[in-house]
Amino acid sequence: MAPTHAGTILTPEERLARRNLMLRDAFSLLTLFLITAVIFILTLFLFRSFTNHRQELGARWKARGEVALRSGHPEIAIDDLRSALAYVPNRETEIELATALADAGRTQEATVYFTTLWESAPGDGTINLQLARLAVKEGHEDQALLHYQSALDGTWQGNGYDRRREVRLEMARYLISRHEYNPARNQLLIAAGNAPDNPAIKLEIAGLLEQANAPQDALGIDRSLASRRDPPLAALEGAGRTSFALGMYRLASDYLSRALASPLAAGFSENQKIADRNMLDTSLQVLKLDPGSDLAPRARAERLLAARKIVRQRLTDCAGANPLLASRLAGLVSRWGQLPSQLTVAKLEQQPDLEQTLLQLAWDTEIATAQICGQPTGDDALLLRIARNPWTVEQQ
Amino acid sequence: MPDPPIPAAATAPSDTGIAGISPPGAPPVSPPRAGLSATVERIAPTRDERLFLVLSIFIGVISGLLVVAFRVAIEWIRLLTLGSAPHGGQFRLLFVPAIAGLVVAALVIWFFPAARGSGVNQTKAALYVYDGYISFRTVIGKFLTSALAIGGGHSLGPEDPSLQIGAGVASIIARNLHLSRRRLRMFAPIGAAAGLAAAFNAPISAILFVIEEVIGSWSAAVLGSLVLSAISSVVVARAFWGPEPLFRIPSITLRDPRELLAYAVLGVCGGLLAPLFSLVLGYLRPRLRALPRWSLFVQPGIAGLTVGAIGFFGFPQVMGVGYDVIDQAMHGQFVWQVLLALVFLKLLATTVSFSSGTPGGMFAPTLFIGAMLGGAVGAFEKHFFPHLTGTIGAYSLVGMGVLFAGFLRVPLTSVFMVLEVSGNYSIVLPIILANTLAFLISRSLQPVGIFEIFTQQDGLDLPSMEEQREESVLHIEDALQPVSVPIVNGSDTLHSVSQTISGAPGAACLIRLFDGSWYAIGADELTSVAAALTPDTPIQNALKPDRTPLLFPDMPLDSALHFFPRWPLLPILNRASRGTLEGILTLDDVLRRYRRPV
Repeated sequence: MAPTHAGTILTPEERLARRNLMLRDAFSLLTLFLITAVIFILTLFLFRSFTNHRQELGARWKARGEVALRSGHPEIAIDDLRSALAYVPNRETEIELATALADAGRTQEATVYFTTLWESAPGDGTINLQLARLAVKEGHEDQALLHYQSALDGTWQGNGYDRRREVRLEMARYLISRHEYNPARNQLLIAAGNAPDNPAIKLEIAGLLEQANAPQDALGIDRSLASRRDPPLAALEGAGRTSFALGMYRLASDYLSRALASPLAAGFSENQKIADRNMLDTSLQVLKLDPGSDLAPRARAERLLAARKIVRQRLTDCAGANPLLASRLAGLVSRWGQLPSQLTVAKLEQQPDLEQTLLQLAWDTEIATAQICGQPTGDDALLLRIARNPWTVEQQ
Repeated sequence: MPDPPIPAAATAPSDTGIAGISPPGAPPVSPPRAGLSATVERIAPTRDERLFLVLSIFIGVISGLLVVAFRVAIEWIRLLTLGSAPHGGQFRLLFVPAIAGLVVAALVIWFFPAARGSGVNQTKAALYVYDGYISFRTVIGKFLTSALAIGGGHSLGPEDPSLQIGAGVASIIARNLHLSRRRLRMFAPIGAAAGLAAAFNAPISAILFVIEEVIGSWSAAVLGSLVLSAISSVVVARAFWGPEPLFRIPSITLRDPRELLAYAVLGVCGGLLAPLFSLVLGYLRPRLRALPRWSLFVQPGIAGLTVGAIGFFGFPQVMGVGYDVIDQAMHGQFVWQVLLALVFLKLLATTVSFSSGTPGGMFAPTLFIGAMLGGAVGAFEKHFFPHLTGTIGAYSLVGMGVLFAGFLRVPLTSVFMVLEVSGNYSIVLPIILANTLAFLISRSLQPVGIFEIFTQQDGLDLPSMEEQREESVLHIEDALQPVSVPIVNGSDTLHSVSQTISGAPGAACLIRLFDGSWYAIGADELTSVAAALTPDTPIQNALKPDRTPLLFPDMPLDSALHFFPRWPLLPILNRASRGTLEGILTLDDVLRRYRRPV
């Protein structure tokens, strides 16, 4: 007789039954273990085949979506990228999907999506840039600038240095479009300061500086490029154009001559060629008329006398056109009357003060008649250019 | 270990099931089983208890493996039938769910009648009606038909079938090891917890759901096994799916407490939507079931056609489980108008799919609708109140919990479910607030929960856990009477006590003993003990060794009942001072209180 845990005395038959029961339980547990192992192997096989297939599908749909996005079919890209995300969710695909939504014009959806992505990664440069673009589309200037700035300050995958510069230039373009030239110029100057020694990038910045009403800064960049041994044609042209805009006709004629003389200029469009040629011609004519201080006294006096004749005729025509206009020009007429009636080259050579008075009166007259009688043409127009910046015409 | 709170049940299952509740082909609960159990109990009394814990682990592991295989099967079927990128305008979206519905209907009617329905009530029926019996055929049928239906695009979820598959695994294992009937009944909920835990990748929620909805309460033995099986299954599931929560949760923080108002709005919306969902399900399901029998073959097909049409005409998101769509909503891929449309289209799709008798669960659709509702409310609020800092993901997440609480009526599970699937504790305040609001509003508008509605429609009378929770239990204080009998000390003589008791109402008195315990004595007992003793003997020397039980006013009234054959009255003590009486209780007081309406 053997006692159980409960203290019950077992008969030999019961002991045998208990032993059989234990054996049966052990066998059952072993069977259970084997069944578990078999189910495990089957499940593992099923799971592996499934996950591999998911990975393949995710990669396939992502690739399709990216191709569609690049080829300008954002609606197709949306479906493809959504499918890709269902199989292999990752941040990159999410950003691509949101970008596709934005490209497809589904601005509200894109904004919601990007905002959600931004909430989990407020310092992500790409997301901030996309949010800035969406804000631009929706006309939210404050938000656009905020997100542009966050994109500049944010983190970027890959070459963050280049991406930040691109963002800065994009931000500058936006500011230019809003006619906010000063902040645009600031951004462009920072970009120029950090730009690598890459002519294409510098030319792009110079072009934007021109658009931001900062031709002086643009000229600086163009001239630095033009001073290279093998200067880019665009730099020569840009330097010529900005010099022209700044009234630096000597410089403009130099750069534009070099640009137009370059064999690469054949690649210019016809309009561009005409524009450059016009600027060059104008510069050369201005230089011919300009009584600049670097001329010999005689030549200077001769040019001054020629200019006097042109300007007086302009004054007479302008004042004679309308009695009302005549009264507004009375002051100038009076000043002209105070000058000696007979002016000669010799007299001007001998009297530098008189020469200076005549010069100033000529410039004042051109400026005043342009304001009162409208923009002049011909030599008057050229003289007006000189009158506006008499000190820069010959500047090198 | 105390017995688990599983009710005794011995009804033999019938072969003709109602709504898949009764398991056809189940062997009757036979006396030999009981005899065998008695023998085992005698020769190895601790065997069942020891096996119980070991088997809980096996049940968890096997359930976890089957649930992983089940979900993979659903995905494979979806890929093979609906394609890898279903979108509006694809004709296959129209006919695949319809064909799947027809095939599933034939399988269910001819081969697996017990596979109908979601699986929750079937598991409850197994527990309360069939001694925990779920047949192997039911498990196979549930696996195949649910996978085919859900993979084929029907708007149903895999969690409830997983629960039933887990319960079935437990039942099969327990039967094959010839465990006692009592243990057998306990295994069904243990397997259910394992299946649900693996499906949700959330063990706490699964355990709570089984406690809240299936067994109603718990004891240490059951809880231990529930935890073991749930953890085992989740470990297995995570070995395959990885440790990540079910959904990719975006960053969530509650920066401004005022934002709780916005979440409260979501709770109100959920509280209004949940009864609507119950209402349409409760309306359509019995009407479809009342149609002629031949129509049962085509109902799932027509439901599939309806769901397919919704997908074909631009909303394929409503098809199938929809976890990926929930993920998309949480990551702000939809505007609020689309989210709102998905709420109502999914509600419609789920209603027709489920009401047609197609096997599949309600959990995933509930989560889906809740997530869309939350996303819609969140996106709407953020659109019109941009200063709100809560993310759409946070609103979607809370929305899931809101509908879970309001529709399935499991408030505790809903809170933990959201915490577990998000892995983020900072969302707890919005969840508690919104879920509670949704639960209370839903309950006031629709007093009967959805599982009880289904039970009633199936002609069964399973216990309602919600009703049990809400049941008002009578306490001792409800029948308590002031002390109207004399109180004597143990040192008083028999003579003085005899004189005291003779004039007392009820012919009884209470004796306060030196150790603080009490004794209630009636005139008859006093007479019998006094016969052999002198009158000046202290009464404490004449008493029997037992003492009146320690009873307090807050204890259930029925806990006092079984003491009355021994004691003429019971002293009710103060918990802070046992020497202080709160009152007394007699059998008449108790019975009088029970006769009075609550």
